[in-house]
Amino acid sequence: MMTEISVIHLLDVATGEGVEGELRDAIEQAQLDDWQKEWQPALLAVLQDLARRGVPVDQWPQSWHWDWGKKTARVQGLLAFRGFSVVAQGVTQGLSQVDLTKAAREPSQAGKPLVYLDYVEVAPWNRPELGRPTRLRGVGSALLTAAVALSDEEGFKGRIGLHSLPQADAFYAKIGMTDLGQDAAYQNLRYFEMTAARAQAFLEKE
Amino acid sequence: MKLERSKDWWLNRARREGDAVIGAGLLAFDPAPEERAATAPAEDSRIAFGKFVNLMRRRRGLSMEQLADAAEVDASELLVIEDDVHHRPEPRTVYRLAQTFEVSQMRLMQLAGLTAANDAGLRQEAVRFAARSESVQKLTSEESSALEAFVAVLSEQEPKRVK
Repeated sequence: MMTEISVIHLLDVATGEGVEGELRDAIEQAQLDDWQKEWQPALLAVLQDLARRGVPVDQWPQSWHWDWGKKTARVQGLLAFRGFSVVAQGVTQGLSQVDLTKAAREPSQAGKPLVYLDYVEVAPWNRPELGRPTRLRGVGSALLTAAVALSDEEGFKGRIGLHSLPQADAFYAKIGMTDLGQDAAYQNLRYFEMTAARAQAFLEKE
Repeated sequence: MKLERSKDWWLNRARREGDAVIGAGLLAFDPAPEERAATAPAEDSRIAFGKFVNLMRRRRGLSMEQLADAAEVDASELLVIEDDVHHRPEPRTVYRLAQTFEVSQMRLMQLAGLTAANDAGLRQEAVRFAARSESVQKLTSEESSALEAFVAVLSEQEPKRVK
């Protein structure tokens, strides 16, 4: 299957200018290489910096608790799944993996098929929670837009679901996703769902 | 899938995002270290177990899905068995893999950390095997010979007792 590429625009945080990027409907080896050669060292640098500054471990970003080897192996496994990637400035800026076999839980659409986002991760240099100036804005939004659009195309009317990272709860609530509470089966991450009605508004051309 | 939106549409989305954190899923969320420590003792041999399954599958030229079909096990469990030494496999899965690979079920159970190994020789072989094999696309000749030797150990009917 050929990878389809959509031109998107991201915001350069430092200059306030638009930056052209690509939304690709696949995760390919180049993205996994970027994850390992660019993302991982960037994150490590942040953590080393925290350690040097004597920041207590319980205040570190959750990503500190990585078992690098294990995570690398799992990320390499993403090649086998359907996913999206955002590429700009010559490097991978964000990744997502989608699962089209899950059913909705929100009462108004319970049991109906949706696009479940198994994994959404934005490059460390675009992540505000790491306490450093960020480079590009809009990467996470682009990945969500891709999932909603895929859901629409599949006949799922834009319904999507995901288990949010704790720091991301506020964003999903802000874009109108329904918070269905903590999920004991997913390390108590909160499960959010976007209804068909919300999805149409989300995709609307302004 | 192709998305067609204007530059302004995308930039508005980016502005609305602001300083929000966006991430989802257990792969992006990283479990605390305590949760992993509990299973640590069995990891030595489990590394060998994961590698064994990985190499046997590749030697047969099977994808995970194909092996899952052949052994009638869950492909997603094969994925974690091969990649995650912390994962405690289902006994039935180990049983089915032993049958599929035609090796001793008891020894494979020990290797998977499901039954206590009373066999120091197996553990030693497992560590040696794990050290020799690297997970790459094609089996190298070193990997093949390490695998052959390990299969021979796993295929012995009775474990050598070490007194």
